[in-house]
Amino acid sequence: MSTAIVDLIPRLHDLKRSEKLFVIQILASDLAQEEENLIRPNLAYPIWSPFDSSEAATAMLNALAEEKETGYGE
Amino acid sequence: MENSQQYRFTASDPDFGEAGFRPYLPINLSYGSKTLNVAGMLDSGAMVNVLPYGVGVALGAVWNEQTKVLKLTGNLAQVEAKVLLVNATVGTFPSVRLAFAWTQSDSVPLLLGQVNFFREFNVCFYRSALTFEISPKR
Repeated sequence: MSTAIVDLIPRLHDLKRSEKLFVIQILASDLAQEEENLIRPNLAYPIWSPFDSSEAATAMLNALAEEKETGYGE
Repeated sequence: MENSQQYRFTASDPDFGEAGFRPYLPINLSYGSKTLNVAGMLDSGAMVNVLPYGVGVALGAVWNEQTKVLKLTGNLAQVEAKVLLVNATVGTFPSVRLAFAWTQSDSVPLLLGQVNFFREFNVCFYRSALTFEISPKR
């Protein structure tokens, strides 16, 4: 825990009930805002993953196996 | 993880904020007499390793000499690709043979996928701590 939080906690305990509720609301709002900002609108998020390239995967595994059989390798 | 090495996620673009951290792994690739130190993105959703065209050329590979043509999917469906086998070294681990789908595009990132990076290495992601660990297969 940071020293800032350690200093803050006793001061929060001293607040009135209404002030504590106000602080809770502000922090909850901050957290919700951060969650919403995780994926931002109007930005392109490229996904390059070749998910279903099973033919390519098989061909590459075959190439590795062929090389192993022939004993060729760098 | 036993015998593992730890790396940190990289902030690729500040515009993306929390979503912009990526697991880039420093890796040495060797082909013939040439060696290149590059960063590959660990992508457990990718079926294959992907190599951008320029990296293959920098390694000394010649496009027309590669005979095994590949068909990729997704964003890469329109990009021509061929098999390229290279030696790869991660950190202080022993070198392994990796097969790449060498694409005729430089707009793709270097991806480390299921065939065959994840066959050679065990990877554990700690995304909330922005770290990941790698160890060679047992």
